[in-house]
Amino acid sequence: MLKVTGLTKSFGKLVAVNNLSFTVSEGERVAIIGPNGAGKTTTFNLITGHLKPDRGVVEFYGKNITGLKPYKICRAGIGRTFQIVRSFPNFTVFEHVLVGAISRYGPRAQMDLLKNQTENVIQKLGLNAKKNTIVRNLTIVDKKRVELATALALKPKLLLLDELMAGLNPAEIDEYIELLKRINEEDGITLIVVEHVMRAVMKLCNRIIVMHYGKKLAEGTPMEISTNRDVIEAYLGEGVAYA
Amino acid sequence: MAGHNKNNIYLKKSLFYPRAIRFLPIIITIVILIMLPLYASSYIVFVAAIALLYAMVAAGYDVLLGYTGQLSFCQGAFYGIGAYLSAILTVNYGWSFWQAMPISVLFVGLVSAIIGYPALRLRGAYFAVTTFFLAHFVYLIFLNEVSLTGGPLGFRGIRPPEPIGPLSFESMANGYLLILFSFIIIYALLRKFVNSNVGLILKSIEQDDILAESMGINTAAYKLLSFVISAIVAGYAGTMFAHFFRLLHPTTFSWFLSEMVVIITLVGGVGTLIGPVLGAGIVTFILEFLRFAPEIRYVGWAIALIAILMFEPKGLMGLIKRIGVR
Repeated sequence: MLKVTGLTKSFGKLVAVNNLSFTVSEGERVAIIGPNGAGKTTTFNLITGHLKPDRGVVEFYGKNITGLKPYKICRAGIGRTFQIVRSFPNFTVFEHVLVGAISRYGPRAQMDLLKNQTENVIQKLGLNAKKNTIVRNLTIVDKKRVELATALALKPKLLLLDELMAGLNPAEIDEYIELLKRINEEDGITLIVVEHVMRAVMKLCNRIIVMHYGKKLAEGTPMEISTNRDVIEAYLGEGVAYA
Repeated sequence: MAGHNKNNIYLKKSLFYPRAIRFLPIIITIVILIMLPLYASSYIVFVAAIALLYAMVAAGYDVLLGYTGQLSFCQGAFYGIGAYLSAILTVNYGWSFWQAMPISVLFVGLVSAIIGYPALRLRGAYFAVTTFFLAHFVYLIFLNEVSLTGGPLGFRGIRPPEPIGPLSFESMANGYLLILFSFIIIYALLRKFVNSNVGLILKSIEQDDILAESMGINTAAYKLLSFVISAIVAGYAGTMFAHFFRLLHPTTFSWFLSEMVVIITLVGGVGTLIGPVLGAGIVTFILEFLRFAPEIRYVGWAIALIAILMFEPKGLMGLIKRIGVR
């Protein structure tokens, strides 16, 4: 469903993403991993239109979406969350998610439909008790949950999650893994995650793309990646792999 | 028995009381305002009419500043374009007010869309500065296009709106009532708008437009929408002003007016809609009462303004909320 070909983006002399190509098929759970500065978030921003690539093409369901405005890419069916949590601090949790539903169905849609959608998502993410809490007063963990809920209210076909699990404790990570699996399997939402929590990546994803200095270093199943010599080198430094 | 009484009080408080508290002051205020020409001097009625016009402009502007988060400094220009165009069409071309008014308002909407489309691509301060220069540019046109606007001599001979049936708008009292009526309608429409789903979208843009955009919201279009709405309201108030005051002078529409609208909105409390309305009343009357001392008028005003924004940056509405009146 998503095909990225020859994607390149430089900031001055730094080539953040260098001739990156990969494809994602419907229903997959793909992780993009790599050391800090490998270009993972930049790749997300290039796909979602927050940055325009210097070269390369992003295709979604065969349609060229390269360099479109973010709102158009979202409407095409690609949702996202941000590495540094973004939220509307003055809304209640309900209003926050409702805006997602309004954006998806249009402001003139039936209020019942919008409210139902909102309630469903809130229920699914276990935010029911905090429905009327002002987002500003939530913990960072709950803010991430609200951001995810809002992205889900948009009913995306493909969801890009940027370090959703950073800062969570192991129990919460397990909970999220289950949640994301359900979203993937029950709602049919394809997932691409950028993640540093390797335990989550290994448990959640069926394919891993490893980036290093803006290039694709390796690609494969969790099993293949965890034994790949290049990857171990990139993470732990040269020499260690041979030890 | 005691329990019964207690229950009653409880009922009164929970069901009936808050509703009354909510609507009674509004009704009383409207009645007081409608009756104003009966007991107040014509000077007070005149000042009240001006205050209502400011209230209209400020409420419209709050949609842009308070709800969408775009600071601009050109409401005076839209107010002025509405006033001058309506005056020119009625005096020079013999149109009736009821023809000239909608055309003028439409024209202001068009101008704001043409200006807003490119200008809103700029962010924050850059957008604000652009609108500031637009306001000044429009002022220079009023001042220098003497054949069209009368320039510094002013534009004279404007007639009051033509009567509707037996209802004439010749007298100041009736002119005032027309403005009051317009204000109530516009305020109700704006209130409905900001409470709608579109209003919620605007509020989301105000809080984080990058997130809003990534959520599929066409932020540029919504910003333009609220810019045009605020301009249309200002343009309408301008046409009202022209046919109520019946003499236009460029200085009325200088940058000072645009600044006033921003200040009124800030003093009243942004993003509340009612705040700017209260702000308009208070600011207009304070400035009027300071007329006896023109030398210190703006000094006193500046001190008051700084004090308000230092001690209650959320304006009057913030103060009211803090005291606990709802």
